[in-house]
Amino acid sequence: MEGALAIGAGLAVAVGALGGGIGQGIAGGKCFESIARQPEIADQVRTLLFITLAFIETLTIYGLLIAFMLVGKIG
Amino acid sequence: MIFASSYSPILYLGPVPVYDHTVAQWLVMIVLGVTAFLATRNMQAVPRGLQNAWEAIVQLCYDFFGGVLDEHAAKKWTPILATFFLFILTSNYIGLFPGSATIHGFVPPTADWNTNACLALIVFFTVQISGFVAHGSHYLGHFISPHPAFLPLAIIEELVRPLSLTLRLFGNIFGHEMIVSFLVLMAPFLVPMPLVALGVLTGLIQALVFTILATSYVAAATGEGH
Repeated sequence: MEGALAIGAGLAVAVGALGGGIGQGIAGGKCFESIARQPEIADQVRTLLFITLAFIETLTIYGLLIAFMLVGKIG
Repeated sequence: MIFASSYSPILYLGPVPVYDHTVAQWLVMIVLGVTAFLATRNMQAVPRGLQNAWEAIVQLCYDFFGGVLDEHAAKKWTPILATFFLFILTSNYIGLFPGSATIHGFVPPTADWNTNACLALIVFFTVQISGFVAHGSHYLGHFISPHPAFLPLAIIEELVRPLSLTLRLFGNIFGHEMIVSFLVLMAPFLVPMPLVALGVLTGLIQALVFTILATSYVAAATGEGH
């Protein structure tokens, strides 16, 4: 039972971070591309990027919270 | 387990238990309030010292929110939005004090979900009120804007916002605190330093993200298109 909880806690972060990481990579890459193409809109793009990254990151953070809950049940 | 304060209250105000993060909030309020009071007590036309610093901060906030909101809304809603930013930033940085893990009342208030839920609820009501102030009863029209069938979706969207604001800030700050404390347990000297330095960045970015999201919600509620 405890082993399953530990594996579940690990998977919650691992799988959550996998999707979020790919998404953030794509978003960041596109942001740099657009700034390189049009440096004068850098400020607007940066603000939008922060909002986007926050939304993507939230999903990973949900996984982290679930992992903390599961780890708390082990002890 | 993480959604209940696992530590015991440090004092009781009548029947109300007071936890570490509540005391830390008082500390943040005192720091912000006292410096603001000292800065504006004896105002000069040519600012110097503390007044100069605060004027720079306030001007920066007005410029930033002016870029997202329209001019009228920015003037009206900058005070509360800038307060969110300053409060969360100071709260996040309170954990950087030396010995903050052992002194009561020196935990970041934002590492407890109660604080964040409270802030997110204030954002929720601010957004609704700003919509009504800007558009009157027409504001309700945006709940059924393409078709009345979208009403449940629009209501769920409004209700999910405080939840995601709460969990995002809580998860980031709490997660950072946990990781630093694990690392301190394993290697107490020098090794946790880069991570603590990263905490400076995390604290600023999370304060910024919370504020930007609150601003964009207010911008959506006060903007055209209802």
